[in-house]
Amino acid sequence: MTVQFKPAETFRDTFTYKKSPEDILRFPFPFPEDEYMYSVNIEPHVKGGATPAFQAVFDIDEHYVGECRERERVLKEDPKRCQVLPHMMAAQWDTLELIMESLAADYPAHFTLSKAGDVWTWVNRPLGLHQTFTFGKPETLPCTPFEYITRQVQGDFTLQDQREDNLFVDGGMVTTQADWSLEFNIGMSFHEWHGPVPGVAHDRGVFDRALKYLLRLQYGQPVRRLNWTMTINPRLDTSPENYPVWGPDRTTVTADNVAEKVHLRVELQTLFRLPRSNAILFGIRCYLTSVSDIARVPKWRRRLHRVLRDLHPDLAEYKGMTRYRPLVVAHLAALDDGAPTSRGIAPDTDRLDG
Amino acid sequence: MTGTIPVRVREITALAPTLKRFAFEPAHGGAFPTAPAGGHVMLTLRDGARVMKNAYSLVSPPGARGRYEIIVRKVAQSRGGSAFLHAHVAAGDVLEMAPPVSLFPLAATARKHVLIAGGIGITPMLSFLAELQARGARFELHHLSSPEEVPVFERLLAPYAVDADIRVHGGGRAAFDLAGLLSRQPLGSHVYTCGPHSLMDAVGTTALALGWPRGSVHKESFGAAAGGLPFKAVLTRSGMEVMVGENQTLLEAIEAAGVAARCLCRGGACGECVTRVEEGEVDHRDDFLSDAEKAAGALIMPCVSRARGPRLVLDL
Amino acid sequence: MSDQGIKSRPAYGKITGDPAARHALLVVEGAGLPDELMAEGVDPSAFETWTVAHASTVPGAPVMDEAAGAVRPFRSARQLFSALEERLARETMGLRLCAAGTEPFLWDVFNIGAVAGLTRQEMQFAQMGPQARRIFCVHCRTVSEGITASIVTCAGCGASLFVRDHFSKRLAAFMAVQIDAEVPGEVPPSEEIYR
Repeated sequence: MTVQFKPAETFRDTFTYKKSPEDILRFPFPFPEDEYMYSVNIEPHVKGGATPAFQAVFDIDEHYVGECRERERVLKEDPKRCQVLPHMMAAQWDTLELIMESLAADYPAHFTLSKAGDVWTWVNRPLGLHQTFTFGKPETLPCTPFEYITRQVQGDFTLQDQREDNLFVDGGMVTTQADWSLEFNIGMSFHEWHGPVPGVAHDRGVFDRALKYLLRLQYGQPVRRLNWTMTINPRLDTSPENYPVWGPDRTTVTADNVAEKVHLRVELQTLFRLPRSNAILFGIRCYLTSVSDIARVPKWRRRLHRVLRDLHPDLAEYKGMTRYRPLVVAHLAALDDGAPTSRGIAPDTDRLDG
Repeated sequence: MTGTIPVRVREITALAPTLKRFAFEPAHGGAFPTAPAGGHVMLTLRDGARVMKNAYSLVSPPGARGRYEIIVRKVAQSRGGSAFLHAHVAAGDVLEMAPPVSLFPLAATARKHVLIAGGIGITPMLSFLAELQARGARFELHHLSSPEEVPVFERLLAPYAVDADIRVHGGGRAAFDLAGLLSRQPLGSHVYTCGPHSLMDAVGTTALALGWPRGSVHKESFGAAAGGLPFKAVLTRSGMEVMVGENQTLLEAIEAAGVAARCLCRGGACGECVTRVEEGEVDHRDDFLSDAEKAAGALIMPCVSRARGPRLVLDL
Repeated sequence: MSDQGIKSRPAYGKITGDPAARHALLVVEGAGLPDELMAEGVDPSAFETWTVAHASTVPGAPVMDEAAGAVRPFRSARQLFSALEERLARETMGLRLCAAGTEPFLWDVFNIGAVAGLTRQEMQFAQMGPQARRIFCVHCRTVSEGITASIVTCAGCGASLFVRDHFSKRLAAFMAVQIDAEVPGEVPPSEEIYR
């Protein structure tokens, strides 16, 4: 696959982030039905499926350069957004190998990996990187292997160690997160880091079942799911650390600017069992699309309206939407003709309205 | 079940009268997936009409992508697969191999790894040794062998033995001070054992008696078989009957018959494929249904669960 | 006490001991043995016990029996922690580490044990004493001790912080988040609830 990259866009202050029509249509819309509730919506991560975002092991799109630059900036401000506990070094190399091999295989025009025994050469054309290093020798890279490679992929990543019949989040690169802190959560077990999720999900046994499933996750058989929330402005870094910076955005939504300001934030979450370490790599690839861009797809605008209108109040509260949800629902209500929608997340069109 | 990859036998080395090492390469070129440390592969062996599936630990290091190696012991009472490999498989032959899986991983948080193997149980340890040395981890290995095979195992372990605490014991189980070994290990130790059941049981029992926590004692396992006995599924709404093979899930058999069944995770967690059972007893293997629902027997998750008898009638 | 419904908040029981243990060490954040925290039928003399006297007059410990039933007092929790680190570094498998004390004390012990290689299964915790919380300001990383109110001013960055039930064992602290980040100045009244 070949991608036409945009010159670096911004995800803060000036917010120059914009989506091309093709990019809107490849958005992994997260709702297969007109209503939403927590479930174990996990499926095999195989190529194909309802959205082009599923066509690669790690999806790269037109915002690649801008998102990597934004990550660089966040790390400069706060280096602890990337941390890996010392016992995860084997998992770091597993991650580097998986991501480099996947990117080189899926996007040969942009990435090349060549090997002479343990001496590897990595070429990243969009970012202009050329690095020769020895696999297994961290001192031959400019930073740790996990940080090195996750600086070059869109989306956050965490590393889970499996022990005592549980998963522990023992490392991560977390700069584009939906309001959770790696610094606070690192080292937590599966149920601990999901602790703040509303009780309705716990009551439905979602986390017990998901944990059992993930403990059995097999090497070579990755899985994925879509998760979602909403963000004001196309801001990638909505960390708890910076809540005082982005929190006030939530009060700026008006009936006039709601469609441009409010973005549906989707996470394509992927899970891979790693070979040497037996750890699980968890990819959290974030996609932002404004309500006005979503409204250009008839099925999506109808469905988003119905989902938000009927959303369980605990979920709306947890996702921080309480202040502005009525404005979004009112805006979309005017665009919902009540027509039935088809099952699944596909846009059912290849042309945008408007 | 996931697909198999064709592999060509590159080289066979006789290590001892009953031990052979087989080296495989991908039959169509390219590289194998990175082998999991302590991982195993499943070989499908066809002796005329007879099909045998045997699991073998990979002994090659995880990073050796051009070549997978296994060591096979010919045992008189074997199910036939190992005897077949010894007698009938030659260099250049192409076999079917399921990609490697790992059910015997190394503990990342271990302060020290204690490896205890008996006889052919050395195989996963060889994979561990390569990985532990690559990590610079602290470990010791004890191998229990028959006296006559001591030199064979010493040769196998020699590449890892430089500056390492590796010992082959040929004096019998009674002379091996297992309790002494386990009682002097520092906090944070993990013990891994592979070999005869009597040895693995002794390691487990001794460690627990000395106060080791259960989670720090690891025994080799190739896992419970995912399949089961074949059975017939009657799909009332589709008006079809499908046979479910021993190495196939009910969901796979339904899909193979062309019936579009709803599914998502394919692992018994999401609940998407839940189906009403009209007749027949279910062998529940999922995490979705409650104990009460399982006892009632009116629902099944076809992605993992099977019939307990010869026949199931489903509302599908 | 309020319950925010967050599942990362630890739950505590009594000290039951573990019959499989080769040896059990009980550390107590107090001068006496926590009889009320021992499960029924559990004999405190089955443990080697370390206590905190909170007194400078406690003599420098003589060479102690590392045996069940021995009781060794320390001047402070810090002094106990320092001895614990040294002790665990030379311990062998089969040890169980139990702790009784306030929540920050318990998870400080947990972290010392974890560094030494003990897993959660080899440790046991019983909570006693004040319910005051140690909190971690997620914005500036300042750790504050002895928090009894639902909303407090951060000693590091001055933010009005809401104390969440979200608990990190690694930090042995609850998360604190600015309550008025969206509308500065909109701070609800604070309540004294962690006592």
